[in-house]
Amino acid sequence: MTTLTRQDLNFGQVVADILCEFLEVAIHLILYVREVYPSGIFQKRKKYNVPVQMSCHPELNQYIQDTLHCVKPLIEKNDAEKVVVVIMDKEHHPVERFVFEISQPPLLSISSDTLLSHVEQLLRAFILKISVCDAVLNNNPPGCSFTVLVHTRDAATRNMEKVQVIKDFPWIVADEQEVHMKEPRLIPLKSMTSDIVKMQLYVEERAQKT
Amino acid sequence: MDRVVLHYRPGSALRLSTLLQQTQRLLEPLALRPPPAFRPWFPCGAAHCRAIRPAKPPPHISPAGGVPTENQPGTTDRTQDAPCRVQLVAPGTGSGTEREVPAVRRSWSVSRQSGVQLQSRMSLSSRLRRLVSLHRLHLRQRAKWVITQQNCSNLDEAWRRLSRSVRRAGLPTCNANIQRERAEIWVFCDVLHCEQVGRHLKDELRLAGRIHLAVHRLGNIFSM
Repeated sequence: MTTLTRQDLNFGQVVADILCEFLEVAIHLILYVREVYPSGIFQKRKKYNVPVQMSCHPELNQYIQDTLHCVKPLIEKNDAEKVVVVIMDKEHHPVERFVFEISQPPLLSISSDTLLSHVEQLLRAFILKISVCDAVLNNNPPGCSFTVLVHTRDAATRNMEKVQVIKDFPWIVADEQEVHMKEPRLIPLKSMTSDIVKMQLYVEERAQKT
Repeated sequence: MDRVVLHYRPGSALRLSTLLQQTQRLLEPLALRPPPAFRPWFPCGAAHCRAIRPAKPPPHISPAGGVPTENQPGTTDRTQDAPCRVQLVAPGTGSGTEREVPAVRRSWSVSRQSGVQLQSRMSLSSRLRRLVSLHRLHLRQRAKWVITQQNCSNLDEAWRRLSRSVRRAGLPTCNANIQRERAEIWVFCDVLHCEQVGRHLKDELRLAGRIHLAVHRLGNIFSM
């Protein structure tokens, strides 16, 4: 067992790679489970040794990839506090928020076993929870859309430059109505603690969706 | 609590009392630990000041637009064969009732038969040409040859030969699979090449009897 700091081996990049890969799978699955897009655009795949649903729609896939490509530098520098998949109704008011809270320890104790198998097992548990979360959530109204919010540790404007890594994919500060929800129901789904990252996922659900 | 009946071997009174004590201990309710209250790590205070999002909205996809077009593992992309188009609707232009329509798995739109030259039709026999016109088949439409156990005694041997043929590119536009439960081999090809493929199958796999060509919705339309 070796103790490393965040600077060693560019560890932030490794964590960002793992998390962004996981977030991509999670976002696809949330969009499928919560029926934001027609089920016909999804195909069954295998990730973390469990079946998942992934969109086959090139534009949507590109959008998710671009979003995460921009988020990656923030995770790498440990500047991202939360990544939130917000499902909004036709009036663009949030009805559900899937909140991924991320915390990275300053000191890392790692071994190859820790990285490869343990973290994968923990992430698999998140995926399994997402795939059954519709059992504890109420149906969404028709015509929902989604957006991905990133909550940063410092003021958003200070992190704007870090996320503008794709020329045609600008980022803006989120409106208050996209962030806040009136008296949401809090549904904890999963939390994990590993040597490289701590993560917790919960859903904020609007009490009256229709 | 329900009545508990204890069966024991008769012996000393001391042994019985010990047994009773043990049973009583086992029946005691387990200590319950209340789960810790869930608390977000980063509660929303002035969180909106620190939240950013992509300026561009995600694509809006109508329920009828669910067709993959990009090449990904596990998906077949035959855009020249299949007249499919992804239906994209600009954000805000979709009708409000779109999601009330039940979701469909795929939506095919009609496209003109412009991909195939007229001369290509000449490679078909007159009989098949008549059938193509009759059923209005697209020459790039997929058709399926079905090989059954009546055509060959050893289906696995035929499958091995077929795999070799496909690898050697002896069968144009073909892909095949073996349906072991049905004891059949399905060979898919374009209508345009189906006669050529059928002849090749009969010769190469030394098939006996007639093999049948099926197309989607119509079923068997041709045999040789």
